[in-house]
Amino acid sequence: MPLEFDRAILGQEFDRVEGDPVTVDELVAFARALGETEPCYVDPAHPELVAHPTFVVRYRGRKFLPDTLPDPLKTRMSFDAGKDIEFGVPIRAGDRISVTSSLHDIYEKTGRSGSMTFVVVRFTIRNQDGALVGTIDNRMLYKR
Amino acid sequence: MILDLHLHSDRSDDSRAPVESYLKLLQRKRDERPLDGIVLTEHRQFDPSRDFRDLEDRYGIRVLNAAEVETDYGHMLVFGVNADILARFDFADVRLPAQEVVDAVWRLGGVAVPCHPGRTNVGLCAHYETKPPLAGVVAVEALNGGSRKGEDERVAAMMAAHGYAGVGGSDAHLVSFIGTVATAFDADIRDMDDLVRELRAGRCRPVDFRPQRTPAASPA
Repeated sequence: MPLEFDRAILGQEFDRVEGDPVTVDELVAFARALGETEPCYVDPAHPELVAHPTFVVRYRGRKFLPDTLPDPLKTRMSFDAGKDIEFGVPIRAGDRISVTSSLHDIYEKTGRSGSMTFVVVRFTIRNQDGALVGTIDNRMLYKR
Repeated sequence: MILDLHLHSDRSDDSRAPVESYLKLLQRKRDERPLDGIVLTEHRQFDPSRDFRDLEDRYGIRVLNAAEVETDYGHMLVFGVNADILARFDFADVRLPAQEVVDAVWRLGGVAVPCHPGRTNVGLCAHYETKPPLAGVVAVEALNGGSRKGEDERVAAMMAAHGYAGVGGSDAHLVSFIGTVATAFDADIRDMDDLVRELRAGRCRPVDFRPQRTPAASPA
């Protein structure tokens, strides 16, 4: 049976989180942990110090799934089916980063192991000026 | 002419391969995979506005646009998608009625080709075990680049039993898999109309460019 749900729930924001200002120490520690050596990522005194692009994946909402998730999926276990990340403007020290979560898509597909439902939760990540820092689409797989 | 009839770009949910990356690799590997063209078969969707003329001019490789849909007899490649076919079927539906797809696509000017027919659950062979065969199928994907051991062998038996012609496709979701399996045509394929005409007539054959394993020599 196809999964029935109201497509109006797609795209609706269900959670918003705003963090403390990003610090120089956080940016440098993250980049060094990656083994990065470019001064613009690891030198605290660099005039153009920015976050390594993958710093953006640290950000997530408080609530991972919306209350509007279709009932048949609420009681089923899901698997992490990967993430798609689009990078926006760089993150700099002092930025206040907000994460808005929305249910981006629900779709079905079939494969060797049978039918599957995919739920995509999108994190839209912006800085204090509203500039887009990144978009992360989190895919979860539910087996039928 | 040789075309890879089955591959997915970053438009499909399970591929991250840009179309241009496929063409760059084919250009580099022309000696091993002498393809004249590729056919994009994105999962459960078709965008008629996609325009590949610039890429075709730059790389000298034909790029055509088709779709892979999901039916109650498994997955099918739909060639010759037009506005009438899009109006008739919701490609996002994973339970399309296969016989209607085969019949209506043909009537509306295209051709539906069951793909990876040897695959569990989503291949034609599995459905033929419990359901009557589909009428109007002229060709199936005899060789699929993503097949597991035994899957393509099952297809050969079904093709012989039903008189189906065979095509080949890499089913590439990663750039490195492009053109490993393809389809050869004696006719010139300039556009989708030419491709549909040749597929409908069964004037096609699969070709395999994968390195072939040779059996280990027995000790003397």
